[in-house]
Amino acid sequence: MPILIGTGLRELRSAELGWRDGAAFDVSELHFGTALRERFGAVRTYTFSNACSASLYALAMGSDLLAAEGADTVIVAGVDTLTESMYGLLDRVHMQPPDQVRPFDKDRKGVLMGDGAAAIVLRRGDRAAGSAVRPAPVGLRQLRRVPRDRAGRGRVAEALVGAHRLAGVKSEDIDLVMLHGTGTLLNDEAEAQAIGQVFGAHAGNPLMTAVKSMTGHTSGGSGLLGLIVALSSLASGRVPPTVGLREPVEEAAGFRFVRGEHAEAALRLAQVNAFGFGGVNAVAVVERAEK
Amino acid sequence: MSTSDVLVTGVGLALPGVDGPADLLRTGPTGGEPQVDPAARLGKRGLRYKDRASQLALCAAADGLRAAGLLTDALTVPGTTVGVVASSNLGNLDTVCEVADGIKETGVDGISPMGLPNASSNVIASTVAIRYGLRGPNLMVCNGATSGLDAVHWAASSLAAGRAERFVVIGVETDNRYVRGLLGDPAGQLLDGAVALVWSGPTRPPHAGPPAAPCSAGTPGRAGSTSAWSGWYPKGARRRATGSYRKATAPAAGSPGTYPGRTSARCSAAPPARWACSRSRRPSAGSAPVSRTPAAGRW
Repeated sequence: MPILIGTGLRELRSAELGWRDGAAFDVSELHFGTALRERFGAVRTYTFSNACSASLYALAMGSDLLAAEGADTVIVAGVDTLTESMYGLLDRVHMQPPDQVRPFDKDRKGVLMGDGAAAIVLRRGDRAAGSAVRPAPVGLRQLRRVPRDRAGRGRVAEALVGAHRLAGVKSEDIDLVMLHGTGTLLNDEAEAQAIGQVFGAHAGNPLMTAVKSMTGHTSGGSGLLGLIVALSSLASGRVPPTVGLREPVEEAAGFRFVRGEHAEAALRLAQVNAFGFGGVNAVAVVERAEK
Repeated sequence: MSTSDVLVTGVGLALPGVDGPADLLRTGPTGGEPQVDPAARLGKRGLRYKDRASQLALCAAADGLRAAGLLTDALTVPGTTVGVVASSNLGNLDTVCEVADGIKETGVDGISPMGLPNASSNVIASTVAIRYGLRGPNLMVCNGATSGLDAVHWAASSLAAGRAERFVVIGVETDNRYVRGLLGDPAGQLLDGAVALVWSGPTRPPHAGPPAAPCSAGTPGRAGSTSAWSGWYPKGARRRATGSYRKATAPAAGSPGTYPGRTSARCSAAPPARWACSRSRRPSAGSAPVSRTPAAGRW
């Protein structure tokens, strides 16, 4: 059973401690295959280091495995623990230290990182006779990733459009958007602009929320965490709020943010955004499983 | 294993003492060759603040893209049709360790903010994409000794899934005091270089160079060279292609039992009809034969 792990910083914290403080360090443990082999006897593992969209990239690769290789089951995980170098560099570039992650708020000051891990089991749907002509009863529909160059905020829009196209949905079909929403000055405006551009007149339709307001930015794990929250919301009809959002930025003024308390709604399609350093953008579209 | 329509259309090398693919066949002692000088090959412009691994990857990628006819002064095909899969294990250890040292010595205010992009391990893949305008999927594989062949595998997989029409596949490692320290000061020379392959999917690009013989998707001829140079790497992970399980019962992390049965996936993208290769095994499975050697370029 293949295990695909998306991470931003892999085991670089151990490397820092090994180099600077003389802690025990084995370079073969920079990736997670070694630990998974020792603990679970895993024999086929892949560590992808794709910044903050890593776990959705892993999801895309995992879905390709299911489609192309005849694998029935793939485990997809995302994980990050913060490195001192990343923490220090983020600290260095923040004008003011943020005290809270406040995605899309006019007064947001930046991002706070969070440690975390998430994992899901992807399984091929049971393909009963005739089921191919029905909508797939479960799960992930498709992913699309497009690097964004420095000049190109339009690249995020490109990723959204690509995801919708590959999933066979229109933006007006989306009921819920799990925003990347890091609370940084640049991300949130760029993300809001891209959504406005792609959703057009429908930008006010879907419920939207940014869970990093509660978890911090879990980096490589954040996409999958968003996906798991999305799946939970699809199943339960309950969507968690964006904590700390008081006055949205202009670009997001028309969005239907969930604020204050959770919202309840009947939801069918959810979109999950994850964007990373260097313009690695991943967008997943998931559909509620019919009973 | 059947063959596929995937072609290797370009090779790029940034290796000490190697001028072209033919030099890879040379026998004789190695060591003491001059290091690759990225500024001499690419010009200094745009290299400042780039870490060594990214610079080497840029050199190899440029040569590979040119050899494939995809790069002249600019990209000759739409950027969205070209993806990048890069692989490295030691790539950004220099930045990470240097910054950690800096924080200890001077505090956060003393470190350069320009190091920020290099602190994330995907900097190699994204740097190549940004410089050459490659806007397809962008994947960074950091998977131990098998990373180079893993990168080949995922590029083939992504081609088959129709995620892009072409991929630049890169393998790069560096030799510096941080790497040596973390590896326990190994004797001899560590590799400080990069290699790149350019893959094209079933539809041959109009600008591609002379046709190459098709090679099997999982074992692209000599593409094994992408990881051959990581032979020094201590604990090689060798895994077998695995069987699969019918039942998935493990719950999502943190929410035991909440989702099983609901979250299984069905991918809406079918492989292109012309994709004829069975890719049920990973390329490093050992038993997979090298079916053909690409004729063009004789590399």
